[in-house]
Amino acid sequence: MTTNITAVDTNGIKDKAAIVGIGETEFSWNSGRSEIQLACEAIKAACDDAGISPQDVDGLVRYEMDSNQETLLVQSLGIKNLRHWECVAYGGGAGNAVVGHAAAAVAAGFGNYVVCFRAANLRSGVRLGQAGGPERITGGQRAFAEPWGNLAPGHQFGMFVRRYMHASGATSRHFGWVAVTLREHASRNPRALRREPFTIDEHQNSRMVAEPLHVLDFCQENDGAAAMVLTTPERARNLRHSDQIVLVEAAAQGSGPQNEGIIYRPDLAVAESTNTSRDLWARARLGPEDIDAFMFYDHFTPFCLLNLEAYGFVPIGEAKDFVEGGQNIRFDGLLPTNTHGGNHSEAYIHGLTHPQEAVRLIRGTSTAQPPHKTINRVLSCSSVAQLSAAVIIRRG
Amino acid sequence: MTEPGHTRPMTGPLEGIPLPDLEALPDYEEGFWQGALSHVLRIQQCAECLVFRHLPTPMCPHCHSTSYSWTAVSGQGEVYSFVVVRHPVHLAIREKNQLPYNIAVIQLEEQDGLRICTNVLNVAPEEIFIGMPVQVTFMVPAGQQEVVLPLFVPA
Repeated sequence: MTTNITAVDTNGIKDKAAIVGIGETEFSWNSGRSEIQLACEAIKAACDDAGISPQDVDGLVRYEMDSNQETLLVQSLGIKNLRHWECVAYGGGAGNAVVGHAAAAVAAGFGNYVVCFRAANLRSGVRLGQAGGPERITGGQRAFAEPWGNLAPGHQFGMFVRRYMHASGATSRHFGWVAVTLREHASRNPRALRREPFTIDEHQNSRMVAEPLHVLDFCQENDGAAAMVLTTPERARNLRHSDQIVLVEAAAQGSGPQNEGIIYRPDLAVAESTNTSRDLWARARLGPEDIDAFMFYDHFTPFCLLNLEAYGFVPIGEAKDFVEGGQNIRFDGLLPTNTHGGNHSEAYIHGLTHPQEAVRLIRGTSTAQPPHKTINRVLSCSSVAQLSAAVIIRRG
Repeated sequence: MTEPGHTRPMTGPLEGIPLPDLEALPDYEEGFWQGALSHVLRIQQCAECLVFRHLPTPMCPHCHSTSYSWTAVSGQGEVYSFVVVRHPVHLAIREKNQLPYNIAVIQLEEQDGLRICTNVLNVAPEEIFIGMPVQVTFMVPAGQQEVVLPLFVPA
């Protein structure tokens, strides 16, 4: 364990930004339109939800991977003056990080209405789970992975999962309970791409893709876009959802050491989000007992277990018992988890749908709204082995 | 020999998938591939603090020296983790019927945490296990001459 990282206990963004609008396109296997159009549609939808015009947007935070450049967005949306723009690196690692960055931009006064978004044709366009044709590699971690067939995220994350199983005693069946539960949540969600429920046995009998990962442990690849609008709490009180203020309470990101190439990390049974978790709780001065619902980046179902442990919801090694049977992580359970169905069953928009679902849960508009408790505070997190990010979203 | 119900072992490197362009590599990676060409597993070692490192980097992450050597290691190690691939994500894997294959991470014996990615040959995927002792070997992927790959076999 690294000893010289000290938790950062200043929290400069605490409650200084409100999420006032969320929006998305439909999710599909083939959107039939450009990524810039998807971006514009999602941003327009988020602005409609907030009750502002896209012309009022003056900050854009995008994923580094996103193809949509700020200049064309300014041109297309009619933005009058873009005061702040940035992109956050590393694929799904940007997932919740963009929310923290947008909140920081609002807190710093860099923009009045800052939008974070992700728009991509990840199915009909370039698929992240597919490798290209014969080619020569010019160095870097790929040169030390691909010649041996280590070609796709499932291969690299499978190494994590195998090691985690070895250390914790978790089995594929535990991951199956996560999958069954996510699909059950999606079955209630009309936005979701995959809504047909399956049983634990159907998970266990599903095709093996990158053993120990079954096909039903993988997220989807699909087209679509999502966007969120953030502004100050003062402005939020004059907007459409003035009766339901949703605040960003804390955010954190982390890498841990040796993250290039994923498989060289010091301990492949431990998610890098242990670093992010430590900072997040210190900044927020909160703990897992304060959280009403949990949104995790479900690129692969086992990362539910890894992150339940990393964020301290259960002791290390005990997540397998917590997810057994699925009751605890169901929308009506102890810790409602990915109530939208997640990347796994709703749609894969690189993790931006998770903080959106957090907003819905606080507004009381989730399609799997927990019937047994009011959701006041949600932890939404991404963990993609190279980098992780988390945000705490609360009722204002 | 393969046990009944077990799938066939890999007997050589995969064909038709991306390989490094030895002419285009960064200088701090070349020694690994040059070593493989002469069938020696060479790992980057800091010339100052003598800590091994892989992936190769231009600077030692421990003492920050930029001096290093390419030290021949024993090629002995054990399986740290592994994946058995049963779905093709690359055209050459499908077209050449190369499924299933395994990808393994080997912990080398020289230093705790010193690991490399490889395939384990001559063993059915069902018989690979974490902690399995292995030994390096070298082979040329079919259809090309430029690159030699370090692979591992049960020790």
